[in-house]
Amino acid sequence: MADCVYEVLSPWAEADPVAPRGINPRPDGLEGKRIGLLRNSKRAAEPSLQVVEARLRERYPTATFSWFANLKPNETAIAQGLKDEFEAWLKGVDAVINSYGD
Amino acid sequence: MYDAVDIEDRGKPTVSLVNTGFANDAESASRAKGIPVLRVLPTAVPCESSIMGDIEAGVDGVMADIIAALTKPLTAEEKSPRPAQPEKPARIIFKGNLEEVNRFFYRRGWTDGLPIIPPTEAAVAEMLAGTDLPPDHLLGKLQSRDGKATIEKIAVNAVMAGCLPTYLPVLIAGTINLLESEPGFLGYTTFGFSTGSWAPFWIINGPVRNQINLNSGSGAFSPGNIANAAIGRAMGLIIKNIGGVRKGIEDMGVMGNPMKYTMVIAENEEESPWEPLHVEMGFKKEDSTIRLSFPQTYLQHWPYGSDAGRILVSVVDSMPRGMRYNIVLTPAHARNLAREGYSKEKVKQYIVENKTMPAASLRAQASGGLAFARVNVDSLPKEGVVPVISDSRFINVIVGGGPGAFIAQLVGGGATPGKKEIQKIDLPKNWDKLVAKYKNVVPTYAKY
Repeated sequence: MADCVYEVLSPWAEADPVAPRGINPRPDGLEGKRIGLLRNSKRAAEPSLQVVEARLRERYPTATFSWFANLKPNETAIAQGLKDEFEAWLKGVDAVINSYGD
Repeated sequence: MYDAVDIEDRGKPTVSLVNTGFANDAESASRAKGIPVLRVLPTAVPCESSIMGDIEAGVDGVMADIIAALTKPLTAEEKSPRPAQPEKPARIIFKGNLEEVNRFFYRRGWTDGLPIIPPTEAAVAEMLAGTDLPPDHLLGKLQSRDGKATIEKIAVNAVMAGCLPTYLPVLIAGTINLLESEPGFLGYTTFGFSTGSWAPFWIINGPVRNQINLNSGSGAFSPGNIANAAIGRAMGLIIKNIGGVRKGIEDMGVMGNPMKYTMVIAENEEESPWEPLHVEMGFKKEDSTIRLSFPQTYLQHWPYGSDAGRILVSVVDSMPRGMRYNIVLTPAHARNLAREGYSKEKVKQYIVENKTMPAASLRAQASGGLAFARVNVDSLPKEGVVPVISDSRFINVIVGGGPGAFIAQLVGGGATPGKKEIQKIDLPKNWDKLVAKYKNVVPTYAKY
């Protein structure tokens, strides 16, 4: 192997750092809470949340559940024009369980 | 994951369930969107499972964790995550011999697994002769990490791939195609990274084809032509190193796709009886363009005869299900079709009218949650066949390939008709000189 030495440039692009944000405080418990269930279009998403809902209903009989489906792959609910519907749904829940199906 | 970020941004606590194999992808997505501490639970629910027992077992395995994720108080880091150290990548990143440079790049995950040409200052400067744009000119930020697509970074990746400077205008136009691709399901946002292992397929039209010796003839999709090989390879490296799309983290292609090494063809405009693709799409014949789609599948088939009827029946019979279709017909077949009165549009119409599938199969697909089926199941007949392509604009016909009878089909994904899929290639002022300098870089096979 020839020992010619190369000084090489980086192919890796710079990216502006994204200022990190924290997450929201959690409720003390789920009794009486309104739980949002958000599924995407992947096949396992809806049945996974059905199981989650059933299990939580058993454990927290006073909890209520509200579903939202984002069925457009790789597009947020907001990006596809569902902002008002999505935000209205969010206002009606205390916490959300998302299932992505893969 | 982005919906979960939107939910946290609107003040509600979330937990997200993902398959264990997607944990890295979920972490990358949440970090990229500024919430690196998003609560994500990897589960044993098999990907896209339709087996209820497996789903129940997977969910039951994390039920206690789901409840904890929704109720457990936040840690200090979750309340206020520390900012990531800003990247300060050195411009000169390494010094070593050929083997050492290759090992260094490979270990960083910056190659496609094949050896690279060291992108030295001199080699990159030579590559930059292919554009009038300054090295720091920013075309945009490429997903998924919003990497800055500067001309210099494109040139560095072009050198690595073995490109000649005459390919740089094509790569710049290709990168613009990616940057301006429609967001969402039918654009690069999906096809660049998705489980479907979609591969960028680049069709080049106009005078630039012959000026840079792109192959549109015999074995156009085979290795052996530097332009076809290096342009697709460079675009793959641009997606990896500028877009930050890493296999198994952002690129979650289940099977992967050898077409991701390179899939580039020029249309054989000279031997086509029809208008070239770019003219169909509104450009002038003297323009040069690069057109992008994202097939999953490349197949070849033999026509039942060389007359229009038997060519077209074989095309329809061989066509797999997809969202977008590219048909590559040989010049001989194209001429035969044209002689029998078929324009490109008439070929497409034939396919739309004749590509059918059993209604029962379509119903099964739709009921199985196939997102792109987009079928009203209730409207399907109980028996018989139904058309599966609703719009001739989902089909693209070009002329290419050499002597012989085979037909190629590249089927998969691509843009919504009317959305971004083709970009004009802008050439530098010194183009003629540059072409003259590199035009003779062609293989000359020894006789034996």
